[in-house]
Order: sequence, then structure tokens, then C-alpha cells
Amino acid sequence: MLLLKLACRNLVGAGLRTWLSVIVLSLSYVVIIWMQGFLDGWNRQGRHDMIEQEIGGGQVWHSQYDPYDPLTFEDSHAPIPAELADRVAAGDMAAILLSQATIYPQMRMQNIVLKGIPPDQDVLALPTAALALDDVAVPAVVGERMARNAGLQLDDLVTVRWRDANGALDACDAKIVHIMDTDVPAIDNGIFWVPLERLRTMLQLPGEANLLVVGQGLGPMPEATGWLLQDQESLLRDFTAMIRMKSISSSVMYLILLSLALLAIFDIQVLSIFRRRREIGTLIALGMTRGRVIRLFTLEGMLHGVLAALVGAVYGVPLLAWQRVVGFAMPKAVDSYGVAIAETMYPVYSAQLVGATVLIVMGAVTVVSFLPTRRIAHLNPTDAIRGKVS
Amino acid sequence: MADSDIVSIRNLVKRFPVGGGHFTALSGIDLTFGKGEFAGVVGPSGSGKTTLLNIIGSLDKPSEGTVSVLGRPVEGLTHKEAAGLRCRHFGFIFQTYNLLPVYTVYENVEFPLLLLDMPARERDDAVRQAIEAVGLTSKLASRPAQLSGGEAQRVAVARAMVKNPEIVLADEPTANLDAENAHHILQTMAELNAKLGTTFIFSSHDEKVIQYLRRRISLEDGRVVADEREDAATPGKEG
Repeated sequence: MLLLKLACRNLVGAGLRTWLSVIVLSLSYVVIIWMQGFLDGWNRQGRHDMIEQEIGGGQVWHSQYDPYDPLTFEDSHAPIPAELADRVAAGDMAAILLSQATIYPQMRMQNIVLKGIPPDQDVLALPTAALALDDVAVPAVVGERMARNAGLQLDDLVTVRWRDANGALDACDAKIVHIMDTDVPAIDNGIFWVPLERLRTMLQLPGEANLLVVGQGLGPMPEATGWLLQDQESLLRDFTAMIRMKSISSSVMYLILLSLALLAIFDIQVLSIFRRRREIGTLIALGMTRGRVIRLFTLEGMLHGVLAALVGAVYGVPLLAWQRVVGFAMPKAVDSYGVAIAETMYPVYSAQLVGATVLIVMGAVTVVSFLPTRRIAHLNPTDAIRGKVS
Repeated sequence: MADSDIVSIRNLVKRFPVGGGHFTALSGIDLTFGKGEFAGVVGPSGSGKTTLLNIIGSLDKPSEGTVSVLGRPVEGLTHKEAAGLRCRHFGFIFQTYNLLPVYTVYENVEFPLLLLDMPARERDDAVRQAIEAVGLTSKLASRPAQLSGGEAQRVAVARAMVKNPEIVLADEPTANLDAENAHHILQTMAELNAKLGTTFIFSSHDEKVIQYLRRRISLEDGRVVADEREDAATPGKEG
């Protein structure tokens, strides 16, 4: 308690020197929490959107299907297996059929993927109800990115050309019946959503599908020969890996910021021990043990971390709370990332994040506060009293 | 060691390593200091005065011989025991005052009592009395940088005396003071010595200090060359 009292007195007495390092260190707290909160918010929002709109509760793939290789689409379809037919019919799973195709918007050729999906499905949160139009030959729903890139607008007719199961080329006009706003590029860029049965007819693949999307919270699906179950986590693997990479690259930023703050504290400690050696000698002469003086100086350094947390809370809490409410508008360029990013990102600050950040910073501050004080153990008090270096 | 002796030095030798060899700072010192003495170790620079005071104050250890303070041999003390001895029984006054720069006058004087874990009320009374005794009541909230040299040394005297130690060690206490301030400080210490019976041991080559001493131990090249006692009133006191 005495050491705490003395350390507080020394910090307050040091005035501006204390506050400068405290403010720099408080920035570390706030920026680390802000950046990590931003990534956590992105992760949470991205996973939510991908699960809701693309992945569902998992997927069952035809064994030949590879989403990264469109050339597999031709060979990776089959009739819905008997083991799963009931679940599909009950609406627990949504069948999706894929085909490469070409559109000709603005007299230019553009490759797309036609995705057939039942208009009445509710497994994925997609506006597929718009596809349930009887008076339109091929109704199509596209995402905003797709519409923007292809110059398509609502009610536009665009020529679609595809190759059916027999390899014959065919073409017709598709009508854009809905342009959806989605944060998930995988269901937007280069994708034309059309009614499943219509696509089956176009491809001459009645009753077939490339993959089945499982509804959320339905538990394990029965196994079917020639079909592979992909659980939610494996489907989110790429996204999770990207967030992890972002998190690692952000840690470089934290490290730089934290290093600056720690360097300031280390400097203060080294300088203190050099500048205050007469004071150290006096403290020893007045009856403090060397160990106690070391603890006093270490505590002074640590208190920088505590003060920084308090100062950081003063301006950081309102700032971060405001940011959580208004979010962070993402620049248009982030569309090119190819991963789910909302137009406005809302950071998430968990107690775990705040606690871990405070612990990490405090731990680092304690270490850099202690290291220079070890020199006190070797200080000759009779020299120190006279301000001499021994 | 007689009952009234609080410091007893026998055949003290202190050597410091210099280059490949040793420099002998003190050699064959035999001294005793009794309770209530107002004594000084005098001699030219480099004669070993400060070294002797440092060893008595358990800030340093003898190379040979024994130094017993309040019945405890200094050479056998651990760092912790030595710190405890200084904390409870010694007051220190330094040439350069050595006040803690970020503390106020009050806090500087309070510091030794904090180390003794004295209760707050008792501590406050003791601090105010000590500051009053050196005539600095109006400077309670001042910091050392706002004090003159004389005032700073009076604070150091108050800090040394506040815990009523058995021994006060004053190393060249007037070296940085003008004549008036030096006399004022010495007068104050002489009064405290007379009033409280505290043993004062000075190291000095300042004539102003020497005039006040009732016992003068002359050191030359680390050896005691004279040990004179004087019972008459000091000129300073008369003045």
C-alpha cells in the first residue's frame, strides 16, 4: 500500500512526463480494441451473412462438384438421391443446379454461372420469391455488383446462351426481375439466379442438382452414395482463414503501436534510474531495501499502464460506443476483396477482447517497467546518494 | 563497549578497489560515540570522513574490523537488516540536501514515518512539529525546487529528526550554505541535540561546523590523528 501511495505521488509529481507516456499508451489500448473489434464485427457479420445467404446449415455436394472449378459443373450433377429426396421435398434442403452460360449485355459478352433454385425455398435468405413469375420465360435475380458490372437494370432483357446436357447450344432472353442487395460476393458476382425447374428444362437435366443446401439447425443429414456432406465450418474455412490473416496483419500494427508506447515507458524507466539515482540512494539511506525500491520503480511503470487504461476509457468508451452504433462505412473498393463485407461494418467489442487487450498491454508494461529497474540492485547507495554512477 | 556507547568502532579498515589494487580509505580506526554526543569527524577532502559516516550508517561495510551500532555489528547485517536499522534508528543529512524532488516539504518530512508505518494522525502531528522546529511552517506545500539552499537543508534536518532517531549522521551539512544559513542550521541541530538527546555525528571541514562541535575527531589519510572533547558552550550558542 505504501509503495502504491509513493508510486502515485511520484507519477503525479512527474507531471507532463507521466501524461505524455500515458496518452501514447492509452492510444494503444483504444486502437487495438477498435481494430480487433472491427475484425470481430466483420467476422460476425460475414459469417452471419454467408450462413444466411450462401451456406445454410451445411451443404451436400455431388462428389464431382468443385465450386472453384466451373469445368466440373457439367459432370457434377445427378438426380437427387432417394435418401435425401424426402428432405428436399419437405423444404429442409434446397436443391441447386449450376451451369456455365454467357450473357450479352450492352452488346458485350460476359461469362456467368446460372444457378437454379426453387423459388419457394426458405433455406437461404434470398429473394427467390421474385422468380415465381409465370408470365416470364426466364426470370432472373441478380446481385447489385453483377447488375452494376454488366450494366443491367430491373426489367432489362438480356440474352443468355448456354449448352445443354447434350452439348447443344441454346439461347433465350432472361428478364431481370429483382436486383438484390447482398454482402456476399459469392452469390452476386457473375451469378444469375433462375428458377430451378426452368434451368432443369434448359439443361435437359430433369430432377437433377449439383448441390443441396441444408436448412439451419436441422442436425445431421442422412448419407447418400455419390454425395458428400460439407459442414458449416468447412464451408466457412476460407472466410475464417482470411479473417485470421487480417487479424495477424493487424497485430503488426498493434505491435508497432504497442512498441512505441512500451519504448516510451522503457525510456522513462531507464532515464528515471539514471536521473533519479540520487533519489534512489536517498530512499535506501532512509531505510528502503533495494528490493522495495525496485518494486517502487516497477510499480510506477505499471501505473502508467493503469492510468493509460483509465485515460483510454475516458475518450475510448464514448468513441467506440459511437462507432458501434453508427458503424464504419466501407469504401467501394472492398468489393474486390471477394469476401462478405457489408457496406457499413459494425464493430463488436466483447468483454473478452477488452480484458485480453488490457492484460496483454499491462503484462508488456510490467515487463518493460521491471527490466531497467534490475540495475538498482547493483547500484552502490553511497555513490547514488552523491549522484554518481557506480 | 560501554552501556552509554551507541556506536563502537574497533580497528576499522576500509579499502576500495582501484585499478588492479586497493586504496585504503580508513585504517586502524578505534572510536566510540556515546548517547547525546555532538561530535564531528573533521579533516581535509579525501581523509575518509564520508566513508566513516557511511559505514556507521550501514550504507557501506568495513573491509576489516568491527563497527557496532546500538549493539549490532554492521558488517554482519544483510541488506534488509541494514535498511531496517537505518529506517528506525538513523537520520541522514546530506551536503546536497537530497530531498525527494517531486514531494512537497510536508511529504519529504513525512516519508521516513511512512516507512515506519506510523498511523496517520500521529504521523501528521510529528511532521508538523518537526517542520515547526526548523521554522518552515509556511512552506509546507512547497517543493524542493521552490526553496532556498538554507530552507532545503532545514527540511532535511526536519526529515532526519522527525522519527526521533538515536543517531543523526550529517555529511558536510553546511558545505552548500552561506554563513548565515549555516549558523542557523547548526543552531537548530544543536538545540535539537540538547532537547532530545539525539547523537549527532558530522563530517565536515567547515570551520563554522567545527566551532559548534563538542567533540572533534581529526582524520588524516584515513587515520585518527586527534580526538578532542570540549565541554564549554559553543560560540554559536553564545551568539
